[in-house]
Amino acid sequence: MFRKSHPLQSKSEILLRNIVVLVMVVFFTVFLIVPIGIAFAGSFHEWNPLSGTYRFLGLENYKEVFTSALFGKSMLNTLIFSVVVIIFRVGLGLGIAYAIYSPLIRLKSFFRAVYYMPVVTPMVAVAFVWKFMYNPQIGVINQIFHLDLNWLMNPKTALLAVMIMTIWKDFGYAVVMYMAGLYSLPSDALEAAKVDGANAWQTFRYITFPLLKPMTLFVVITSIIAYIQAYVQILIMTEGGPGTATYLASYIIYDEAFVKYNFGYASALSFVLFVVTAAFTLLSFKVSGTEE
Amino acid sequence: MRRKISSIALNVLLLALGIVTVYPFVWMLSSSFKQNKEILALEQHLLPQAFVTNNYMNMNAHFNFMRFFANSLFVTIVVTVAVAYTSTLCGFVLSKYKFKGRNLLFGFVLSTMMLPWCVTIIPKYSMIQSFGWMDSYKALIIPALFSGFGIFNMRQHITTLPDEILEAARIDGANEFFIFHRIILPMAKNGISSIAIFQFLWTWEDFLWPYLVINSQEKQLLAVGLKMFNGQYSTDYGALFAATAISIVPVLLIYLFFQKQFIAGIAASAVKG
Repeated sequence: MFRKSHPLQSKSEILLRNIVVLVMVVFFTVFLIVPIGIAFAGSFHEWNPLSGTYRFLGLENYKEVFTSALFGKSMLNTLIFSVVVIIFRVGLGLGIAYAIYSPLIRLKSFFRAVYYMPVVTPMVAVAFVWKFMYNPQIGVINQIFHLDLNWLMNPKTALLAVMIMTIWKDFGYAVVMYMAGLYSLPSDALEAAKVDGANAWQTFRYITFPLLKPMTLFVVITSIIAYIQAYVQILIMTEGGPGTATYLASYIIYDEAFVKYNFGYASALSFVLFVVTAAFTLLSFKVSGTEE
Repeated sequence: MRRKISSIALNVLLLALGIVTVYPFVWMLSSSFKQNKEILALEQHLLPQAFVTNNYMNMNAHFNFMRFFANSLFVTIVVTVAVAYTSTLCGFVLSKYKFKGRNLLFGFVLSTMMLPWCVTIIPKYSMIQSFGWMDSYKALIIPALFSGFGIFNMRQHITTLPDEILEAARIDGANEFFIFHRIILPMAKNGISSIAIFQFLWTWEDFLWPYLVINSQEKQLLAVGLKMFNGQYSTDYGALFAATAISIVPVLLIYLFFQKQFIAGIAASAVKG
């Protein structure tokens, strides 16, 4: 079939292609498509590997998801968490990238490299460092700001503390992205603005920022996908507590699946989260499309 | 004059932000050389007043931390090399060969990047159990051999390489295996290094998967070891700082060493995509 449509292909090309395509198809079928199928089927069952239960429940798991107060609370937490972190990530990223980009700064690659450092450090380790920094006994944060707060144990500050840590870890990614965006801007648009006598703020507001919109969209979408899946910092720093103050959506899934072994319910939660991710991604595309 | 003042002000601002960014690392590293009584003291100094290295010794005496480190290094290097190779190979086939279903396959690879980890992890865990791969590095390595992110990026990268070079080699009688290994691999060096650096970080920091599939302590990886260590010695702060430092420093060194490729790599994939 392949040979007929492309008579010029050599034997070795057909061989290499067939091997690679076959291996890829087998790999992704076994480790992706089959698992998605199993999880989808499992989401309609009471499925507990410890007790060996696998019993059909119909839509029960999904009903439980939508009536669960904890899931509602965790979605609200995830929403607050994502919105705040994304605003700071985009704001700091854009502001800092623009500052580094300006001719007033010389050590451009130095600053860029420094801000990117937290992005490339393992989350588990970084979460521990911050857990110690928030510690009321040994923590450096209370010492520096002369505070007496038990950051991670207080329901009012726990989520905030995790958000601050996440902003610290992730803003550098946005800096690098916006710098790449700034350096690929068409210089004629900026020249034209200069000729027309636009000041720095006007140039930024009416030329640079709109031109960077694809990059903003990229950062926002990748952030939404990432934060809906975030759980490691919660696992290390708060385990969802105090109470339910820092439960995030993906942490519940971790908890249901690998602490309580409710595989069926955790699968239902996963699919709901998957749909939410897809919906928000589409929404971001839509919002940026209608503005233009 | 005004320009000079704003330049200084902006530099100072960026430097201050830089200090905030680096401070947690400095604090952690410095604390790892302090005695516990100094860590807990009321009066705090950033630098250790009495410089000690016994936290690093203690940490290893309680817990075979260096074993976790070596295990992590082994698994991470194997997965990184494998993913760099398979991503380049699949990227080559998807960009330079024309065949039916190519776009479908590529679209599929692209869509894998949007799928949350939680959707597939439970079935994958059950599958590993039924394959009998529990507590073996097979479970860590085999499901990680191909990466959607890697294939997507290498496909984008190899598309930009000129077809003429491949044609010239073919006319000289080179077969495709030779072309891939001797021409494509060397020419895709930049793309490969950015994929490799990312994969190194992700495998190094992965917590949940090794936690689920590895049971015996002598096979466990560093990220999981760090959490176990914290659970058991939660008051030996000095040793905790030392253990955390050990798990951060290798990736930071790799980053500082390769930061040019790293930053160019992530920026390129975003500008193109």
